Amino acid sequence: MLKKIEWCPGCGNFGILKAFNTTVEKLSNSGIDRGRIVVVAGIGCHGKLPDYVELPSFHTIHGRVLPALTGIKLANPDLFPVGFSGDGDAMNEGLEHLLHSAKRNTDVTLFMHNNGVFGLTTGQFTATTPKGVRTRTTPYGNPEEPLNPSLIALVSGATFVARAFAGDMKQLSEIMFEAVMHKGFSFVEILQPCVSFNNTWDYYRKNVKKIKTPENFSDAVRISIDTLNTGIIYRTERETFEEAMMRTK
Amino acid sequence: MDLNICISGAAGDGVKEAGELCGRIFADLGYNVFIYQEYQSIIRGGHNASVVRISDKKIHSHRKYYELLICLEDYIYRMHSPYLRGDVIFDSKFSCEGIGIPMTEIVKEEHEPMIFRNAASIGALSAYFGIDFDTVEVMFRERFGEKAEDDIVIAGSAYEYYMKNYSPKMEIKRNGPGKKLVSGAVAVAEGMVNAGLEYYYAYPMTPASPVLHYLVRRKGVVAYQPESEISAISMTVGSAIAGKRSATGTSGGGFALMCESIGMAGIAEIPVLIIEAQRSGPSTGMATYSGQEDLEFVLHPSHGEFPLVVASPYSIEDGFRMAGELLNLAWKYQTPAILLTDKHLVESIETASIDENSVKKQDIAIIDRSEEIVKRYRITESGVSDYAVPPAIVKINSNEHDEFGLTTDEAEIRKKMHEKRMKKDKLIEREVSDSAYHLFFRGQECIVTWGSTFGAVYEVAEELGYRVAVIRYMRPFIPPKLRKAVVVESNYTGQLAKMLREKADIEVESILKWDGRPFTPEELRERLG
Repeated sequence: MLKKIEWCPGCGNFGILKAFNTTVEKLSNSGIDRGRIVVVAGIGCHGKLPDYVELPSFHTIHGRVLPALTGIKLANPDLFPVGFSGDGDAMNEGLEHLLHSAKRNTDVTLFMHNNGVFGLTTGQFTATTPKGVRTRTTPYGNPEEPLNPSLIALVSGATFVARAFAGDMKQLSEIMFEAVMHKGFSFVEILQPCVSFNNTWDYYRKNVKKIKTPENFSDAVRISIDTLNTGIIYRTERETFEEAMMRTK
Repeated sequence: MDLNICISGAAGDGVKEAGELCGRIFADLGYNVFIYQEYQSIIRGGHNASVVRISDKKIHSHRKYYELLICLEDYIYRMHSPYLRGDVIFDSKFSCEGIGIPMTEIVKEEHEPMIFRNAASIGALSAYFGIDFDTVEVMFRERFGEKAEDDIVIAGSAYEYYMKNYSPKMEIKRNGPGKKLVSGAVAVAEGMVNAGLEYYYAYPMTPASPVLHYLVRRKGVVAYQPESEISAISMTVGSAIAGKRSATGTSGGGFALMCESIGMAGIAEIPVLIIEAQRSGPSTGMATYSGQEDLEFVLHPSHGEFPLVVASPYSIEDGFRMAGELLNLAWKYQTPAILLTDKHLVESIETASIDENSVKKQDIAIIDRSEEIVKRYRITESGVSDYAVPPAIVKINSNEHDEFGLTTDEAEIRKKMHEKRMKKDKLIEREVSDSAYHLFFRGQECIVTWGSTFGAVYEVAEELGYRVAVIRYMRPFIPPKLRKAVVVESNYTGQLAKMLREKADIEVESILKWDGRPFTPEELRERLG
């Protein structure tokens, strides 16, 4: 019944989807029915994911995944809203929603596919494209420094921040499970090659490092600055947005 | 009896509050009251005025000329004196011809901040109208509870000073049982709640903010101010997807930011209600002044074709009814609806008789359990499919999609799915055909109007021999059958007139105004006479 997968052969999305399916399985085994896991995705290659999962889903417009997740969670706290967005979708258009979702600690999860390029629109630079890289719209090299998504989530107040690699499914699905189960805002940056426009498979395979979750916030900041560090970077607990809102109702 | 009182001062003088308190006294005494608030986008200084109209007849408008002016600053007196047709009560800290009351001194004696001059002005005006001070005291207690003492002392001193030095100009007597004052914003908010509103998201923007200010304190509704208008409508959509009746509100600028999401709600068939309270545009325009310039914009807010409801309430009572009507329609037909109102309606206060029974929640069937993917977008004869929410496996999609909500670009499916959605327009048209416009009075010639402009039109039409058709629904547009009409509206291009001419072949004569100030009966009498 679901759609045939339309991603390019070798796309990092396959690993992400597989890890997510494993996570859903694990969540079901922990008593969270599939119907309670609501997937919201934005625009981009990642945005095709809702068509490939047998879960409630909402394919929204570019950059607006997080406020949709927030509206869903506030309206029905029994649900587990899980967002997927790309680097274009979370770091370019709609960046403000990430800062505010982290700040308000809304109890939702965001998986951010970071492949450093706009894939579906055929290879333009995004906010995470490194300086100097030539893309369709930066033929003489990207003039801008890239953003560091995990660092931004961390300093904005996210209570769960992790970085993972699409090529390490075991680590990724473990992080995904922890992120969904975390009470509060969870942000997971997934380093992902784009085989058509930014093929970083070899680079990541060779260079990504695994870290141990640091003890405190300042160590977490230090670790997140190195964009090749993967693992759970930070985890803490504070009152969620939904708890704060419902306290007065 | 018919009185028009203007209370004026600088921003921060508590003029708005004074207008409301004055209105309360007369409403408590059983009179009909209408309060118009005029203020600048300034927190301190500048110029604010609250015009309180009192009548033994039903009214929906203030008047242009005042029988009494209460003035707290001398430079403000000069701005208002052209409209004065009676007495002036002023703070004798400055000199002026009229009834001087040492308001500043009275407040200083009580060691209160200067904003308390508004209580002094209430005391003085009550004495002027020969209103028993007990009535004033009761009003303060009802309004401020235990905190009323300071206001009562200051109002009392001003009242006594007046009685010692001047004599009352009138003796206002009770006119029946007390009435309740309701603002347009509260009426709209309560209308939504009556139709089942549970979530409201809005970013501050004058003049829509009073709806948010009210709902954040109201039990039974979760209201929240997110980071932007885009976020506000996205959260509204999210809560609707989770099965809860939700709405957002803004003015023209914020509405512009919401436009992309409105089309998305159209294709994804998500019920959302958007309140658009117009102010003078374009762009930042005149933030605190009224207008009816957004009609053409709001009728076509987003790219592509999708069913949409646009309607505008013409009075505070109608604001209550219509807010509920539109929330029900949005859910019944699973599409966005826009309540187009204006500053003059949402920020004005009236002794409106809200009929709780005029609108009730109309429930729709909602599927919330399923084993497999629900056919959320089942092709039906009517165009309406079953609404489904998680934990049912329901797929909502802003892409063109098949019956299961899976993305597609197949020609046949697209053809059928787009047609299915568009069919809902016809159903909506049939449903609202009886309430598309309201008619008042008899007369050879007809005035057509919309929104708050109705208030002034209503007052003069009958005496000038006109009947009135006030348009409520603009989309679907079902105009009255007329050959000719005088169309009164607050914009430069005659946007409703254009629709009547182009879509209903009516010969129109426009009476327009675009200075940010609402029409008054006096002005209309001159221009229609």
